[in-house]
Amino acid sequence: MGIDVGKFLKNPEYEIKITTYRDIFQVEAQECDRFGKDYEKLSACIVMSKNDMAKMGLKPGDRVKVTNNNGSIVVEVRESKRDEPGGVAFMVNSPWSNVLVSEESGGRGIPEFKNITAKISLVKEETTTLESLMEYFRKLQ
Amino acid sequence: MATCPGCALLCDDIEVIVENNRIKETKNACRRGAARIKGCINRLEPKIAQKPSDIESAVRKAAEILGNAKSPMLFGWSNSTCEAQVKGIQLAKKLGAIIDDTSSFCQGLLIEKLLQKKFRTCTLEEVRNKADVLVYWGSDAQDSEPRHLSRFSYFPRGESRQRGYEEDRIAIAIDVRESNTAKICKGHFYRIQPKGDREFILALIDALSGKVPAYEPKKILELASILKKAEYGVIFAGIGLTYSIKDDFDILVALADKIPNFHIMPMVGHYNMRGFNENLFKETGFVNRVKFDGKVVHDNRYSIVEALREKSIDALLVAGSDPLSSLPRSLVRHLASIRVICIDPCVTMTSKIATVTIPCAVSGVESGGTAVRMDGKIIELSKIIESDYPTDEELLSRLMGAL
Ligand code: SF4
Repeated sequence: MGIDVGKFLKNPEYEIKITTYRDIFQVEAQECDRFGKDYEKLSACIVMSKNDMAKMGLKPGDRVKVTNNNGSIVVEVRESKRDEPGGVAFMVNSPWSNVLVSEESGGRGIPEFKNITAKISLVKEETTTLESLMEYFRKLQ
Repeated sequence: MATCPGCALLCDDIEVIVENNRIKETKNACRRGAARIKGCINRLEPKIAQKPSDIESAVRKAAEILGNAKSPMLFGWSNSTCEAQVKGIQLAKKLGAIIDDTSSFCQGLLIEKLLQKKFRTCTLEEVRNKADVLVYWGSDAQDSEPRHLSRFSYFPRGESRQRGYEEDRIAIAIDVRESNTAKICKGHFYRIQPKGDREFILALIDALSGKVPAYEPKKILELASILKKAEYGVIFAGIGLTYSIKDDFDILVALADKIPNFHIMPMVGHYNMRGFNENLFKETGFVNRVKFDGKVVHDNRYSIVEALREKSIDALLVAGSDPLSSLPRSLVRHLASIRVICIDPCVTMTSKIATVTIPCAVSGVESGGTAVRMDGKIIELSKIIESDYPTDEELLSRLMGAL
């Protein structure tokens, strides 16, 4: 059996702008059980335009690592059902998107929830779970 | 009929079918509201240092923590009744504490301007009866206040709008994303770049002043002409707009001055955020970010965000909110190193790291009270089922007594 060279090659990274939004299905899932699988599934994802996905070689259902100075998460890629021009990806407002939001607010008390810049790359890892986000806090205690 | 505490529309036409003191079914509520009324599956339990306790001991421990803290903060409040909010403000006064709510990183600034009467606003009944041009700006009402378009703005018939959306009303969406609300505003969706709202407002002001706007002139002139013709227009200002223009609200006021038939209504998600803003405003002249320090001091340093960033608080009481979930992780790290008291009906991310947790009844389901709708109307909440849990108001009274 030959060596799987691909294993050692890092998948390309792309710069991406992300804005957050609200989704009624995710809010419904949160009301019912914020530690449940539905809430996790509806939160741990990133919605991208067809164009951007093609440019980055991504398919719906792929998992991507989204990273910036504030943190890193693995989420699932969804293709936007809208006719998006691209350049901006969307994440529903959640503890996952909040990993990427900076604490800086210019002293104004309002973080940039809707204006996130990050790097994105295809990965094989599982999506970040709420349990692992909780674990991060428990370790700080 | 019951009132839904799912969002600040406080829909009062909800039918609830109760069987053996359990909610079996709701009618008329949207998904968000139905889920809120049915309740969460993981109810909070009284705990001290994450070990099971009872409510009385948890309240005493909470009083001890707050009483001994050098710089306590009381935060949350947008899911509490007006009665609990007033108690919370009294508690902050007694403790010499900082008090802030979720509007601090949401619509607080805009609501403060509204209460200071810096712009024209209106009621939701006026929207239903009179409005012909509806501008959803940075607001996806369909997902956040899901019955806004169907109960009040676009779809219903009103006194002067007998032909509803088919002929009498135009809905416009200005947004970064083609939201579900934008989908309904067929042909009137204006896509802007993230943080592009300022540029868009200035271009619109130019167009309304008879100048050729520098930015997308054709589209902006077309929009300006619709706005000018409006008999009764409303701009529903969402957090997309608020976050984008930050404290530069004067440009929004300047825009409203150019279109005298227009009103501005802040879109509020949490059911009683405006209630907290009004209650604190009555007491202090400010809607949030206040410290009771012998006198009232208002400063951005007293916002939850800045207080956590500067690590300036040593104890935090959270009432009906989940900052660990809703604030940037880099910011809420500090919560792990201070004492946190959580009053909530449900287990939250914050309650999982809290020093003290105290369960309360779900307001508007297991207890009544009052709340303020997004347009300022006071609405009675219903008690739909009986519960053994104390209300948040009662817990705050007990906490004050234990100090
Ligand atoms: S729109 Fe808001 S108040 Fe009305 S049913 Fe839905 S969640 Fe409840």
